[in-house]
Amino acid sequence: MTDAIASPSALASNRRKIKVPSLWTVLKWIAAISVAVVALFPLWWMFSVVFAEAGVPVAVNPRLYPTSFTDGFAKIWEVFEETGYLRAYYVSIMYTILTIAGVLLISSMAAFEFALFDFPGKNALFAVVMLSLMVPLAVTLIPTYLLVAQLGWVNTMQGLVVPGLASAFGLFMMTQFMQSIPKETLEAGRLEGANHFQLYWYIALPLSKNALITLAILTFMKTWGNFIWPLVVSNTREVYTVSQVINQFNSPFSHTTVDVVMTANFLAAIPPILFFVFFQRWIIEGVQMSGSKG
Amino acid sequence: MSDLQIKDAVKSYGNVDVLHNINLDIESGEFVVLVGPSGCGKSTLLRMISGLEDISGGEMFIDGELVNDVDAAKRGIAMVFQSYALFPHMTVAENMGFSLKLAKAHKSEINEKVRRAAEILQLEKLLERKPSQLSGGQKQRVAIGRAIVRNPKVFLFDEPLSNLDAELRIEMRAELIQLHKQLKTTMIYVTHDQVEAMTLADKMVVLEGGQVQQVGKPLELYDDPSNMFVAGFVGTPRMNFLPAEVVDVSNTTSTLRFAAENGAPEVVLPMTDGKLAIGSKVSVGIRPDHLHFSPAQSGDLAIPIDVAFVEELGDLTYVYVDTKAGTRLSSQKKDGRHNHGTTGYAVADTTSMFIFDADGHRVRA
Ligand SMILES: Nc1ncnc2c1ncn2[C@@H]1O[C@H](COP(=O)(O)OP(=O)(O)OP(=O)(O)O)[C@@H](O)[C@H]1O
Ligand SMILES: [Mg+2]
Repeated sequence: MTDAIASPSALASNRRKIKVPSLWTVLKWIAAISVAVVALFPLWWMFSVVFAEAGVPVAVNPRLYPTSFTDGFAKIWEVFEETGYLRAYYVSIMYTILTIAGVLLISSMAAFEFALFDFPGKNALFAVVMLSLMVPLAVTLIPTYLLVAQLGWVNTMQGLVVPGLASAFGLFMMTQFMQSIPKETLEAGRLEGANHFQLYWYIALPLSKNALITLAILTFMKTWGNFIWPLVVSNTREVYTVSQVINQFNSPFSHTTVDVVMTANFLAAIPPILFFVFFQRWIIEGVQMSGSKG
Repeated sequence: MSDLQIKDAVKSYGNVDVLHNINLDIESGEFVVLVGPSGCGKSTLLRMISGLEDISGGEMFIDGELVNDVDAAKRGIAMVFQSYALFPHMTVAENMGFSLKLAKAHKSEINEKVRRAAEILQLEKLLERKPSQLSGGQKQRVAIGRAIVRNPKVFLFDEPLSNLDAELRIEMRAELIQLHKQLKTTMIYVTHDQVEAMTLADKMVVLEGGQVQQVGKPLELYDDPSNMFVAGFVGTPRMNFLPAEVVDVSNTTSTLRFAAENGAPEVVLPMTDGKLAIGSKVSVGIRPDHLHFSPAQSGDLAIPIDVAFVEELGDLTYVYVDTKAGTRLSSQKKDGRHNHGTTGYAVADTTSMFIFDADGHRVRA
């Protein structure tokens, strides 16, 4: 008899364990999925346009799935053949790698001095660098170009890379980070016999790993997609970056069809996508950190 | 093993003098403890020795060689910081072997030396851990190990135990004494804990206001302090000080009156003529173990008092009393318990009194 009374409530409590998601959770999931769809759809659209049967205008007959892989690869091959895209890949990748390496090296070395040592005029110098953060690109573009031109660096890799190496933002971020390294840690290093460079190399640099990764990611994003500076400084095919090659496709008098333009864009999107897939964890950490560190 | 001389060393930040005319002679293999209240310049002096701070004036010699301008990295001095200052990105073994790696020592030599230091400090099982995975005491050991591995000329310690709990502190203290016996390296140790100083030091240096107050064996400082600061700083509970005035002087004695006290008690001290002048103000210092609570008047000096409170620790009893003039005195009883009521006399013999002049200098009989 007691069983008969107890069982319905036991059932009820059992059912509660399966945990019906609250309205809030459902809404959160809906929001997250919507954002994901919005973010992924263009990529998918691009993909299906590239791998669509050639000659069937997408605008007339839109499809949401790839219809011909052979035609897609043919288009990719066409783009590679006709535009020096491989060369542009090489230029863009070198441009990005060299810029990242240079920005990390220069920012961290400068930040090491600014954050951990005193020297005359330190605050004034730092203020000047920070002020430069407020100067818009439009103001510096022409003087920088003239300087690079004077150096004879137009249409060279160094012309592309060097002006971007002194990153005020990088210095600011690394300085903020290195200020949190206790002075005593460096003093201990010094007593252990480390010279100035060894303090930087063996102590400050490894301790700033997270900040360096963040800065590398931010620099990647900025450099890979950079358009204006390459446009100004590299005017020959030899030093075109990916974004410039794409720009050629967009020119109003080009006779290529939409799906070929889309192929060029698709190829340009692949490296950043790979980058994000591989470095996802650090990117999230990095964005969180740069967010909280200002 | 190295000796160290400091001659007239001065340190100033801008126009603020933090250390004045420091003179110190440290012999090879000595365990020297610098003590003093917070802000007296202990760390500054230690950092000057290490080379992390430069010397504003005066000279410093290690093994007879002038080191004023020798860089910290080249002095052959190891320092253990209060915060340990371990390298957080390196394992214990890497921390300890860092200096050897910088010196381009061979891998096998580094491993061997690290292993030996780890053995001395019982760190063998922790060698692969990162500092964040260690307890405070273990970090402390690693910091010491990092210093040992280098076989430095001089070891410096800046309050190395102050972040540890009381029990561990006592344990580490014993280990440090053991370590010093084993290595026989010159060690300079900073603390503001005078018990730590008394137990560790071969030679104790009391610093105050950027000046060396007295240097000597711990018991010398306890038995024969040369000024009021040292007398008050060394020994717990603190020495009692009572203000008094010289009222009479003869060839062999001086008479002091405790004017503000009830009945203005007087005491006649053996004192060479000319050391004290009639009318001069002095302070009389009496250690708690020489000041006794007595229900009745007795001894050379008896000051009427009220008992303020009593701390009974079993083997020891501290009786805190207030004189009629309001001075709080502490007295210590070795035997028995306190069961003598709430008023009586604080009594002491002249043999256990220290006399200090108005400037705090000791006046010896
Ligand atoms: N960089 C500096 N600039 C100016 N004054 C300083 C500087 N460093 C220390 N001082 C001053 O020097 C004095 C001695 O400091 P120090 O750190 O040597 O004291 P300490 O005896 O080690 O004290 P504690 O026991 O609190 O560690 C203090 O009054 C301090 O304010
Ligand atoms: Mg200190």
